Amino acid sequence: MLILLWGVASEAPLAAVREALERQGAPVAMLDQREMLDTTIDIRVGAGEVGGAIRVRDQRIDLAAVTGVYVRPYSAAELPSVTAAGPASAAWRHVLAVEAILYSWLELTPALVVSRPEAMGTNNSKPYQLELIREAGFCIPETLVTTEPEAARDFWDRHGDVIYKSVSGVRSIVSRMRPEHAARLANVSWCPTQFQRYIAGREHRVHVVGDEVFACEVHSEADDYRYPGEQPVEIRACTLPREVEDRCRRLATALGLPVAGIDLRRHHDGAWYCFEVNPCPAFIYYEHAADLPISTAIARLLAGGAEASAPTPS
Amino acid sequence: MLLALASGYDRSAATWAARHGAALLTPADLSVAGWRYHAGISGPDTAVAGGEVIAVERIEGVLTRLPYVSPVELGHIVETDQEYVAAEMTAFLLAWLTRLPCPVINRPTSSWLCGPAWPPERWVWTAARLGLHVRPVHRQARLDGPPAEEEIGNHTLVTVVDDRWFGSVPESLGRQARRLAVAAGTSLLAVQFDGAEPDAAVLGADPWPDIAPAEIADAVAAYLMHGSLC
Repeated sequence: MLILLWGVASEAPLAAVREALERQGAPVAMLDQREMLDTTIDIRVGAGEVGGAIRVRDQRIDLAAVTGVYVRPYSAAELPSVTAAGPASAAWRHVLAVEAILYSWLELTPALVVSRPEAMGTNNSKPYQLELIREAGFCIPETLVTTEPEAARDFWDRHGDVIYKSVSGVRSIVSRMRPEHAARLANVSWCPTQFQRYIAGREHRVHVVGDEVFACEVHSEADDYRYPGEQPVEIRACTLPREVEDRCRRLATALGLPVAGIDLRRHHDGAWYCFEVNPCPAFIYYEHAADLPISTAIARLLAGGAEASAPTPS
Repeated sequence: MLLALASGYDRSAATWAARHGAALLTPADLSVAGWRYHAGISGPDTAVAGGEVIAVERIEGVLTRLPYVSPVELGHIVETDQEYVAAEMTAFLLAWLTRLPCPVINRPTSSWLCGPAWPPERWVWTAARLGLHVRPVHRQARLDGPPAEEEIGNHTLVTVVDDRWFGSVPESLGRQARRLAVAAGTSLLAVQFDGAEPDAAVLGADPWPDIAPAEIADAVAAYLMHGSLC
């Protein structure tokens, strides 16, 4: 058994999972992105073979020995040593090449990967992911993506209380439509813009880790509690109805995610709406605020070893 | 009506569209008033192609030749927002293409609008699991070393369009190429072999093949118009 951790070693979720693995006595190999310029990698793929090795100075990691991988890399281009070297540099090309090979290996290895890159990609498009959420049995908010100012205005008029947010995973902050936004509606013709009916109710954040479910309630009046401004935010551990827990497990499984952060809201009429699934949740905030042992559960999952989780041709 | 989704600079897509009477949809069309996409609620979904608003129900098939929207195509957007708008447009097209009820060749994946953006080793791995003969792939990255990727070099190409395949190879290789396309969930795929003999090995594949040859261009159009060709 060998657990490979990939990311910046000091980053809180990665450090917490590493600590938990070491507490459990699991063998860990850390691939620190800050050492990418000292890292070499080679992989070999053929009939019945996915092998290779990573070398960081004197350390050698045999990829065939890896049984679990926790993946939390920053974009290589954001690493200070790479940014400083610039896009035309050999350092830049090298880091991108290492990253590309690692991503490729992550799709093919029979090890348990938390999570495979292709599965994490569903979060690149919120309306795309929303359809998958609906298929998993959750309610989804009425949504319009449009470049038509009149359509946006009609949607706002019909639903009264409406939010807008990015379509992609970039600049993803939720905002309520307010009267002063009316004059800016003409701008939607430049780019498809996403509007959703505001769903009133209690916000919940659910972390699925394998078969385990860790839920908490969010008490906040902010449009987006992750960016609360002056608004207070309180996070409390809670227990979901069994059926909702099962639906969360099914959703994570359907998205191919061994670990997922699921954003739910319980409407006043009792319906459970799901807005988004974070495929690589930065769970530390919830772990600390609600005293939920998420990092320990992730470590336990990883230490559970390899599973038949490699993608299978249909 | 047929659509070709492509870069504004893609001449082969424009040629295909002109040959088959398809409308060309470029990133510039995503900055035109008229798009409507509903989720969780029914409504009249509309698209824009060539500057014209189209009811989605009129679209019979879409050829995708755009892997993602590049900021380079968005000269009409203020420079500081080009990267963000390109990401938004790509994300929107992923949702839109995925849900279209008509044939789309190729359907997008979460990372690429033209199908699976797999490196050679993923194609070889998939082919090997299907029992096909493969040539192993070795990739490496060293800061002071040779190029990270082995060149595929000389190869024989078989292009799959749904149930049909094109290439000067024995029937058995054509069938193998088709099996690989099915396994990858693609309707349009060029498969690279290391020769034209029946025991040739798979080297890799490309879901964005050349569609300039008339027989391939026509097969793509026929698939989009009529669904399965057989």
